Amino acid sequence: MEDLILELKQEIIAALNLEEMSPEDIDAEAPLFGDGLGLDSIDALEIIVLLEKKYGIKLSSASEGKAIFTSIRAIAEYVSQNRKK
Amino acid sequence: MYKISDNILSPLGVTTEENLRAVLDGRSELIRHEHIWGMPEPFCASMFTGGQSESMQYSGCSRMESFAIRSIYAALDGASFDYKGVDVVLILSSAKGNVELLREGDDEANCYRLGASARRIADVLGFVNEPVVVSNACISGVSALHLARLLLDSGRFRYAVVCGVDVQSAFVVSGFQSLKATSASPCRPFDICRSGLNLGEAAATMVLAGDDVVGGEDSGLWHIGRTSVHNDAFHLTSPSKNADGAYAALSDVLDGVGTDELGFVNLHGTATMFNDQMEAVALRRVGLASLPVNGLKGYYGHTMGAAGILETVLSMAAADDGLLPATLGFAELGVSVPLNITSGARHVDKPSFVKMISGFGGVNAALFASKGKWRGRRAAGSSVKMSKPSAGQKLKVEHTVRIEPDKVLVDDQLMALPDEDTHSFLTAIYRKYVGDYPKFYKMDLLAKLGFLASELLLQAEGGERFSVRSDRAVLLFNRFGSFHADKAYLKTISNPDNYFPSPSLFIYTLPNIVTGEIAIRNHYQGETSFYILAERDEPLMGQIVCATLEEPQIQSVIYGWVEAEDETHFCMDIKLVRLGK
Repeated sequence: MEDLILELKQEIIAALNLEEMSPEDIDAEAPLFGDGLGLDSIDALEIIVLLEKKYGIKLSSASEGKAIFTSIRAIAEYVSQNRKK
Repeated sequence: MYKISDNILSPLGVTTEENLRAVLDGRSELIRHEHIWGMPEPFCASMFTGGQSESMQYSGCSRMESFAIRSIYAALDGASFDYKGVDVVLILSSAKGNVELLREGDDEANCYRLGASARRIADVLGFVNEPVVVSNACISGVSALHLARLLLDSGRFRYAVVCGVDVQSAFVVSGFQSLKATSASPCRPFDICRSGLNLGEAAATMVLAGDDVVGGEDSGLWHIGRTSVHNDAFHLTSPSKNADGAYAALSDVLDGVGTDELGFVNLHGTATMFNDQMEAVALRRVGLASLPVNGLKGYYGHTMGAAGILETVLSMAAADDGLLPATLGFAELGVSVPLNITSGARHVDKPSFVKMISGFGGVNAALFASKGKWRGRRAAGSSVKMSKPSAGQKLKVEHTVRIEPDKVLVDDQLMALPDEDTHSFLTAIYRKYVGDYPKFYKMDLLAKLGFLASELLLQAEGGERFSVRSDRAVLLFNRFGSFHADKAYLKTISNPDNYFPSPSLFIYTLPNIVTGEIAIRNHYQGETSFYILAERDEPLMGQIVCATLEEPQIQSVIYGWVEAEDETHFCMDIKLVRLGK
């Protein structure tokens, strides 16, 4: 799980151009939206693309994504249970 | 300004009359498409058939250009002035123009640049003045009518021909799909079951004349006395929860007009969750929630650059018949404000209405159109024009910034360059002179350039920043539109084995996003607009900026020329200007 968390942090930093951040700067338990990492709805859509591209997970709507994307750890748990590649 | 004549060219018909009859008959060409253009996801859209496209094709012109030419010709058929005169301006409204022609590896953008397209259209038709393209995302059509009103009210031109046109392609449809904004079945504006928008193809044209040229209350012509554009300064793709921009635009156009003098409101009504809810909030805030309202996307889909013009023309034509068309697709109210939405065509007792529209980049626009005595009591009593007197005034430049690939000048002074080579030039400039806005890293080249130049300009201005204001407009111009972002997005959809359309890249393929970034950063809720010209034309840009400054609520304008071909070929000149003696 910890390896997957690190991988997700690296993938998200690259996909969202969080250029000045490193994996250590992201708290795996912290909220991704609003006060936490400060991501927005376009970022949520980009994470949906990332999950499909990298893990074969298809989400149909942004609201479905937002329910899963509460923290990096929550995404990692979802990925480990649903990944197709 | 007065509307002399018009045309709507859509899959439903090639004249305004044919379109009106189709709409009143409840016809729609929204069709579900599967497995076309190599797209894995189905979509629903209203598109010209191959036969229709072929029959309208002009030699040497693209599909989009041919539709525009047909529509403009048809509209000019009813005009009795010399449209080849020097007092006529052609304004083209388009969100994505010929982007269907872009191929991977294209480095020569000429075939699809919107400025070059507009010039081709102007040449075929014989217009003598340089055309202006308004590319303000989904509000482009009403934005273009706004520009026409500014240029006619200010007396710079006597006539304006305004044509909105967009065609559909894998590029555009996949982009809206990546934003999860589309529905694969016919859209349902304002309905509780709405699940997204459909896209559509169309061209629509209005031929307009200044108030001093034709018209008068007894002329029987439609009058567009008020137009307004405002930015939410909230988010690039989500409208303000309080509908700030739409409310401001509505407030502007309703100044002096009583609710009892309005027949109806024609809404944007895209059938996305956010848009329709936002419009409902705006109507409540401005006190129009009980007025009859309708939306036309159920017939045409969202025709992007054509929408604002098409829907205004169709609303006028229907009102001439005393009718307000039904909101096709609507059955049960699905917004939080009780609205009086037409589910079946109804009688209209006053030929006066407001058209609303909103788009990505935080933009919102509205116009007030009326016929005969329905000008608004206070509006008709006072001077007709909204413009403030500017006789003898000219542009006063307060500050300037120029950014080139190897230098930065602020007020003509060379700035010290960053002492590092680990980052790209623009990122290094950002780190040295700004540094507190991580969203910068997410921007495309055009937005980075515009953002940085505006930061340096506003640092030079000094004083208080970041408080909400509506008295400053942001107007940017260029030749290449969003060429750099278009190529980046195209890469994400070109390979069928690696087809992952990127929403964050697609959003920057709307060139006005750079103006939205500046508005959001600075809380600017005034007008933001993006114009594309065939070539840099300072006198024409100056005319547009001056006409904008003549609006009573605009005190200053940030305007500039921003060109971003690639990482090593870019240039930005930006100025902060006011009117002065």
